[in-house]
Formats: sequence, structure tokens, C-alpha cells
Amino acid sequence: MQGNEGESEKSHPLQPAVPRPGSPTDLELMQGIQREDPEALSQLYDRYNGILKALILRVIHNEAEADDLLQEIFMEIWNQAKNFSAAKGKPLGWMVTLARRRAIDGLRKKQAYLRAEERLQQETEQQPEAWVHNSTEEEILDGDRRILIQRVIGMLPPPQQQAIELAFFRGMSQREIAANTNTPLGTVKTRLELGLKKIYDGLKELRDEL
Amino acid sequence: MSFEEFQNRARLFVVGALDADEMAEFEEARREFGEKAEAFIAECYSLSEAFALSLKPAKASDQIKTRLMEMVKNRQTR
Repeated sequence: MQGNEGESEKSHPLQPAVPRPGSPTDLELMQGIQREDPEALSQLYDRYNGILKALILRVIHNEAEADDLLQEIFMEIWNQAKNFSAAKGKPLGWMVTLARRRAIDGLRKKQAYLRAEERLQQETEQQPEAWVHNSTEEEILDGDRRILIQRVIGMLPPPQQQAIELAFFRGMSQREIAANTNTPLGTVKTRLELGLKKIYDGLKELRDEL
Repeated sequence: MSFEEFQNRARLFVVGALDADEMAEFEEARREFGEKAEAFIAECYSLSEAFALSLKPAKASDQIKTRLMEMVKNRQTR
């Protein structure tokens, strides 16, 4: 399971929704929330609060605000569950999209955006913060899903990783990325398209292999 | 727009990287390709799942869940 460190539930890499035998699937929990069952929300929270908090933190870089936002996001999951449709994707993808959007909105509303942008500009000009790091041999051996995904992302050239990170975790448009990195818009488009295709194909290969 | 081009745009769409002018073209192609387009977009959400799953989980304050469940309970009793 990908929840907080130390949880014993192990899931199939790249299939985060596979719970322990006998536990409800993500889809079953979403259906429970649609029927307004608080226990379903409680279980979904236990399963994904760590991942969603990490995502929010990556966007807003503030522990207390991230906690508040996490609570708001799970409340929104409760309120908006009726809009979830399994035909349009998995529950985790839906939750990540919702959480990312709220985190980026929160960042902008609290006017921290400019400050973060300045910090980002400095980081970009000096040395971009690595999204993924080289894994230790031990980490690779433990077969953790996170490591496998990081390896797929880590295979991209750094400029492609950076463009994707700015789009996904900072909510920047292609034009904003171009301006922030002093890169021609066409180059940014190409980096994003190539990078995303490689990750998409890499994830598909991983799923096929496992 | 070819379907291959649509696929590129769909990947940009799910990570929120489509510019406004591209969005209109994308939505038009989405309607044109219909179910095939929707199925591909659904698959593309594996990208945003993967970006979230690539991060080390963070510990949330213990109070968050308590407050959340209280809010849900209050909403139900209203």
C-alpha cells in the first residue's frame, strides 16, 4: 500500500488501487462515498492521505497549509463523488486531478504564487531541484512502486523532466514555462510532448512486464 | 487533427499543460473522435497518478482526519 510509511499493505506496482485481500477496492470505496457512507471516506483517506499530502506539499511548500488543504480536498471528494465516473478513469486519477487543481488554486489565492515563482526562478537559474534522484541499490532491490515510477521519469533528459514538473506541480502553461526558463515556446512544447509520451510508454511497458 | 496529434494533446491535457488556444482545438477533436478519444484520455490519467505516486508520502496531522469526519457527520445530520 502506498499510504504512510510503515503500513503493511503491499500493492502491485503501478496498480495502487489493489488493496489487501478482502479490503474494498478504490472503486468500491468511491461507490460507498457516492452512497454517503462515511466509513468509505475514512478508508479512502487512510489509503491516500500520504500521497495527496505529498502532492499538495510539492505545490505549496507549506506544511500547515498543506494539512488544511488536504482536509478541504477530502471534503470535496465527499461532496463531488457523484461526479466521479469509472468510465472516465480510476478513482486515484480523479483524486489527484482534483487535489492538484485545488493546490494550485490555493497557491495562487494566497498570493504565494509570486514568491514561489521568484524562488523557482532562482532555483531554475542556479540548479534545478531534481524531481527524481538516483536510487540506491537497496531501494531498487526492494521493488517499491515509487522507485519504479521514478526510474521511468528519471530516464528523461533533465529539460523534459523540468518542463513536466513546472506544468504539473506548478500549474504553469507552456508560455509561462517558456518565459520562466528562457526557452523558445516550440522547444517547450516538444519537451513536454516527448517527455510525456516517454513516461506514458514507460508506464505501459512496466504494466505489461509486471 | 490526426489521432496521433490528439494523443499528444491528451497527455498535455491531463497534466494541465494545454494552452487556451490549443484547448479549443482539443475539445473539437475530442468530440470528433468520440468514444475512442474518451478511452484514451481515461488511460492518460495514469500519468497524473504516476506523478503523485513518484513522491514520498507525507504524514498528515492526526487532527485532519478527526476534523474531516466530524464535518461529514455534521453535514449528514443537517
